[in-house]
Amino acid sequence: MKSYLTLLKKELWSLTREKTILMAIIVEFFIASLAPVILGGVMTYYDPDSSGWGTARIRVGVVGGSGTPLLDYMEEGQVAVRLFPDLPAAEAAFQASRVNAILFVPGNIPGPVNMKLMLPDSEIEKTVITFLLDEPLKRYEDYLRKANGVEVNYNDFDFNPLSTYEFINNALIPILMLFPALVAGSMAIDAITEEFENKTIDTLVSTPVSAGQVFAAKVSAAIAAAVIQVIICAGLLTWNGIVINHLILVLILAFSYIVSISFGGAIIALLFKDRQRAQFAFSMIIIGAGAASCFLKPSPLELLTKLAAGAPNTSITGLLVYTALSIALGLTFLYFSERSMTANR
Amino acid sequence: MKNILTIAKWELTRLRFRFEGRLKFVMLAIVMLAIGSSYTVYHLGIVTGKELYTIGLSSDGHAILDPRFQVIRFDPEQGYTMLYRGDLDAYINGKEIIARDDERSQHVKETLLRYLSKQELLRIAQQYESNIAFPLRVEVITLASPGNAASPVPGGTAVPAPPSPGRTDEDVNRQIDIFETGGLTQLKETLLAKEDIIIPSLTPPPLPMAQVILVFSFIVPVLFVAVFFASSFAEERINGKLVVLLSAPVSNIQIILGKMLPYIVYSLFVITLITLVMSGNILLNLAIFTPVSLLIFSAYMVVALMYRTFKDLTLFSVVVISVIMVYLVVPALLTGVSDFSYISPLTLALETYRGEAITAQQYLLATVPLFLIFCQAVFIGTRLFNEEYLMGFKPLHVKVAEAINLTVSRNHLNLSAFLLTLSLLPVVFVIELASIIFVRNIPMPSSLWMLVIFSAATEELTKSAVLFVLIKNRVIGTKLETLRLSALSALGFFAGEKLLLLLALAVVSRTVFTAAVFGGGLWVLPLVLHAVSTGTVGLITNRLGTKYYPLALIAGTAIHASYNLFFIGMFR
Repeated sequence: MKSYLTLLKKELWSLTREKTILMAIIVEFFIASLAPVILGGVMTYYDPDSSGWGTARIRVGVVGGSGTPLLDYMEEGQVAVRLFPDLPAAEAAFQASRVNAILFVPGNIPGPVNMKLMLPDSEIEKTVITFLLDEPLKRYEDYLRKANGVEVNYNDFDFNPLSTYEFINNALIPILMLFPALVAGSMAIDAITEEFENKTIDTLVSTPVSAGQVFAAKVSAAIAAAVIQVIICAGLLTWNGIVINHLILVLILAFSYIVSISFGGAIIALLFKDRQRAQFAFSMIIIGAGAASCFLKPSPLELLTKLAAGAPNTSITGLLVYTALSIALGLTFLYFSERSMTANR
Repeated sequence: MKNILTIAKWELTRLRFRFEGRLKFVMLAIVMLAIGSSYTVYHLGIVTGKELYTIGLSSDGHAILDPRFQVIRFDPEQGYTMLYRGDLDAYINGKEIIARDDERSQHVKETLLRYLSKQELLRIAQQYESNIAFPLRVEVITLASPGNAASPVPGGTAVPAPPSPGRTDEDVNRQIDIFETGGLTQLKETLLAKEDIIIPSLTPPPLPMAQVILVFSFIVPVLFVAVFFASSFAEERINGKLVVLLSAPVSNIQIILGKMLPYIVYSLFVITLITLVMSGNILLNLAIFTPVSLLIFSAYMVVALMYRTFKDLTLFSVVVISVIMVYLVVPALLTGVSDFSYISPLTLALETYRGEAITAQQYLLATVPLFLIFCQAVFIGTRLFNEEYLMGFKPLHVKVAEAINLTVSRNHLNLSAFLLTLSLLPVVFVIELASIIFVRNIPMPSSLWMLVIFSAATEELTKSAVLFVLIKNRVIGTKLETLRLSALSALGFFAGEKLLLLLALAVVSRTVFTAAVFGGGLWVLPLVLHAVSTGTVGLITNRLGTKYYPLALIAGTAIHASYNLFFIGMFR
């Protein structure tokens, strides 16, 4: 045990000396703190309200449309309406910057209503105007539908603007929690195969430490690095105001995935003994196993997502199963490492 | 050319040799399994989003068939109890959706509403004629903004004629199709006319996340291939075999291109394959994704050249790939909403997938920077191909400085300074555009300040890097030489900036932010600024020594930023 700890310390020290492990942590930092910000930035395009644009009143020149509720809908939707008798008058006002856009409403002709919306060439104005007009136009469409005798049970113009909830909980958090596991697996493979490739394995075997201890230390170092990354990441997310429910359970689950994938990678490395082949097999198996795992109930990804999102009725049995799996893989690895040494004559 | 092919052939032989023997079958089996299970999952549409939300439904409620919802029937009394106990995310009583006040429950209610309203629209589309169900059509016309060069206002002064009924019906049906499938159907026929027709209730869902990820899947196999390339490259470098190759009568560029060739060809093959599976346009997708592949390869090659051990390679590749992914995916999320999306080639792929046309300008904006970065990386690679550099093991910033040193040609200092800075423009461009997107979220005016300072600092660093290296290695020493090279570096930067600006202006509309970064309509003034700021950095470094380079940078940035801020103030 003591030699294992010494070896582990050596591995960890060499990892920190190569400052590249810092880079991996910086990447997690980068993504964890940047992603919500970037997404928030993206969201402002879809919801100008959140960036303060909504307080600006857009002025739309309307030709026609009097006697319909359209004008009321527009006023309710924070759009200032200026009525014009005909199109040239509206165009003149547009050119004089007295209105931002023009909406031409045709007179009462049977059949569908064909409006024309004239927007300025500026990207931002186009987005804001289209966004603000979205609700009034939908309401008016519904009004016309009712006039045709068509009733719709649910309408989508009462919604709150799009939130980042789904993306953060169903994509960002799982990805950030799983990512270090994949890196750890890759690193474990690198660490093990480099002993075989550099032919230093024979030197190792001649020392009083067993090969099993050497390999175990290497994999443990990779696992430790990943664990630290996940903790930092969780900390950053929480600091940015993103809630991770059942934090301890989520972390335990993430750790079990790290352990499973690392030992899985290590076993592959022992089997192939060659870096390129081992890495390739590892990537393929991760894809295959990852895809296949979606059929499990609950799937690893699903379990992680649900726990972090605070979904009701998330059972703990899944957590226990995956933890047990990680221990099993660890033991398998230890067995294989001893065997591979005796076979490597 | 023949040499390149020979090296390519050797590379392939090496690759094949790796996978010989019994292992070949094991590998093949693993690959088949991976592809098989991924395809099944894709087909069944599982992955994320299966039974995420738990909904209670009363007996008279309509069935919910969306896989995201786990639906259980409860009578109202039980349903309410469970809802407020937290065992349900929402409860539907007949037609009413009831939710708690917390974020999750409200989100689930919104999601349900969106799903149900979508179902309703599909129902009426089926039940009624499109004229009755979708009685409102809005045609969107773009007018030249007031004050811009007069292009005659379309429609003239007469009452504009409504579009022919047959045509709008076609539009409605097409939009219903898109609405139903979420935009994933392939529409090969008509390109959208310049004037779009909006049907308010059928406006496409914002945030085309799923589609962006779909398009991103073209690149995933390329990433795999690139990993192979990088590790093969790194391996030969670490084993010393690459150095041996240097003594052969082949030029550096032939080696690099020769080694890349089989992998590039393979990526093209994979892209073609995926295009066939997704029934897209092969030539178009190849045109779009080849520059992306080249970018990925050049990134991996530079990484492989700079790093010494395999662990470094893995970790640094992770960094590079994350950055590239963000660069590709984030702008594409704005497809159809903002012209910023055209920075990313994924946007082009997405639009062609939807059956929309792309212009040559949009194509060039997305692909030219990538292609330039590739050429640059290859060029730098050829300069780094010497024994000492390849076998050395030094920290990253030292290696970068050495790389610059090697790239510069001693005999043509002036030209080198000019070209080096010019060639770094795409990288700077990419960084600055990313910063624009990033900064949108921070309230004004701090965001503008931050942006100006950050872009000024980036630019000064770019322009003065070559000066720093040359001074440090004592290639130049006098103030005159420093000033001369500063001016040339500034000129190179300026030239590159204006070239890219021409390209970008054609696609990206002017906003306050782009003006801040690319601003300055006058030609002479910006050039003088660049020369002055770079000259300052150069002179300070010259006078005080390279240890004070950071200080020099701050000085240069201050000058540059003040100028920019002053200029924007003038515009306001």
